[in-house]
Amino acid sequence: MKLLNKFNSINIAVTVATLLVTGIIYYYAISHILTNRIDKDLVLEENEVFNYVKLNHALPDVYESNHQQITFMPLGEQKIERRFVDTVYKELDEEDMEAGRALISSVMVKDKNYRILVIQSKVETEYLIKIIFEITICVIAVLLVLLTLLNRFILKSIWQPFYKVLAQLKGFSPADKTAVSSTPTTIDEFKELDQALVAMAGRVKNDYQNLKGFTENASHELMTPISVINSKLDTLLQTDEFTDRQSKLLNDIYGTVARLTRLNKSMLLLAKIENGLITGDEQMDIMEILEECLYQHEDIMQSKNITLVSNLHEKQVKASKLLVEVLLNNLISNAIRHNYAGGEITVNLQAQQLTITNTGSQAFDIEQVLKRFHKSNESEGIGLGLTICKQVCDNYGFRLNYHFINNKHVFSVGF
Amino acid sequence: MIVEDEAGLRESIEAYFTGTDSICETAADYTAALAKVSVYRYDCVILDLTLPRGNGLDIIKHLKENEHNDGVLIISAKNSLDDRLTGLDLGADDYLTKPFHLSELKSRVAAIVRRKSFNGSNLLKFNEISIDLSAKSVMVSGQPVKFTRKEYSLLLYFIANKGKVVSKNAIAEHLWGDSIDIADNFDFIYSHIKNIRKKLVEAGARDYIQAAYGMGYKFTEA
Repeated sequence: MKLLNKFNSINIAVTVATLLVTGIIYYYAISHILTNRIDKDLVLEENEVFNYVKLNHALPDVYESNHQQITFMPLGEQKIERRFVDTVYKELDEEDMEAGRALISSVMVKDKNYRILVIQSKVETEYLIKIIFEITICVIAVLLVLLTLLNRFILKSIWQPFYKVLAQLKGFSPADKTAVSSTPTTIDEFKELDQALVAMAGRVKNDYQNLKGFTENASHELMTPISVINSKLDTLLQTDEFTDRQSKLLNDIYGTVARLTRLNKSMLLLAKIENGLITGDEQMDIMEILEECLYQHEDIMQSKNITLVSNLHEKQVKASKLLVEVLLNNLISNAIRHNYAGGEITVNLQAQQLTITNTGSQAFDIEQVLKRFHKSNESEGIGLGLTICKQVCDNYGFRLNYHFINNKHVFSVGF
Repeated sequence: MIVEDEAGLRESIEAYFTGTDSICETAADYTAALAKVSVYRYDCVILDLTLPRGNGLDIIKHLKENEHNDGVLIISAKNSLDDRLTGLDLGADDYLTKPFHLSELKSRVAAIVRRKSFNGSNLLKFNEISIDLSAKSVMVSGQPVKFTRKEYSLLLYFIANKGKVVSKNAIAEHLWGDSIDIADNFDFIYSHIKNIRKKLVEAGARDYIQAAYGMGYKFTEA
């Protein structure tokens, strides 16, 4: 629930309640005042009757005037108390009953006790109350409409800076190049929020840049010692005869150094892609690069008895050739790595998308796989391949998707 | 000439190159390198870009300004495309990213030297084997022998590194690049080498390729 809606609903509830209570108070106050007035009229009538009796020693004629009736009834020995009552009033010439107010009293005429009943119609009072009720309802309705309109207006104008800040916060990524821009506003709270956001984004980006810079520099610095080890190994190899044991050891060292090199290269490459340091887009045909890439992997596929089915069409893109090569190489390598002997790889390149399908045993959790250094148990890779693929795709606005269908891994790149 | 500030690497390269049929000189920093290229001419300068007291790129500029035709091979830890392009634009012949195998370096240098000393013929001769570099075809005793792309590339690699033990890792990286890490073993290298040997021997050439202690191979005249 939006803050404003919440605020509004409370506001409206309180307002409506207040108006209702006011209406009720009005009702009682006005009906009390009006009843009092009627009661006075009734007493006046009673007094007139008393005066008449005192003068004439007889009951006056029963008469009926506008909204008023007086009736007498012999009481006998019965005593009655003088009191006001609410009752109904029936106009003589009309059928329907109206609310009325009556005064019951008694008078002695020639030693005989009579009951006096003076009734007056309350129809006007009722009418007044009805009007008050209608006005209250109207005011509530107008208030609701006004608050709703105000809500919209405020949402559109006053809250605008807040939503702008929120949108920036949602779209914030430390890897993004564009800085978070300040949102101008005259409202203090939003100003503070905006300043806090800009400051925070700046800090986060700065930290992130430092971290990336560190990764890049560290990888860089590592390259030199690795090349020394590599060259020393090559030199060592020329020196003399080796025993089987020594050769085995040397082979292992070679393998490890090679692995270290690849790891380092991948980290450097990733840092560079993220820093946008790889430029030089050119127009190229993905099919040619893919064919070369498949040729490169031919022997490895053969050694694992993997069948390749390819269906390639021309596809021109404008991108860095290096990155496209890396992307395709990584995807093909993965298709080989997460496969089994005697498996199959299908490569399908169309104008809209490239799909690489390979037989496999178990689905990946794609969210996990895209994390750095995530490796499945049987994988001997370094766990950066797909992260790099994702980065390359993001760079060029390609969509990298993954599905696991019929025991097959399907990676697709939508152009 | 080798221009490289890292002593370990410089010595290894020097040791690897010296002794075959080449003479090596070294320079450890920019001033020493500049002094040497001003006086002597080299078939090929192996040049590190990040040097003490100067940038390697300026040495290429110096060479070109003075119209010296020395071959230049850049070796750099920076795998940045910009450096590579600037270097090649300035007139460097090739670019190799650290770390590399000495055998790879040797084969690249050999290619540059071949191009520089290109004297009308584009033929590389090794005893009875002759290779036409522009047509990428191989002849043994005048008879053409068909090689696949990979076999041809491997043969050139071996000839450039003749007399040296070339590790399987170096061969694998030369032919397959980074994708080699998905291979469980290097058995398919063996099958390529077996094919080359078979084709050469069948065409009447001697069997030059020897396996070396299960670690690599050696292309040798002996």
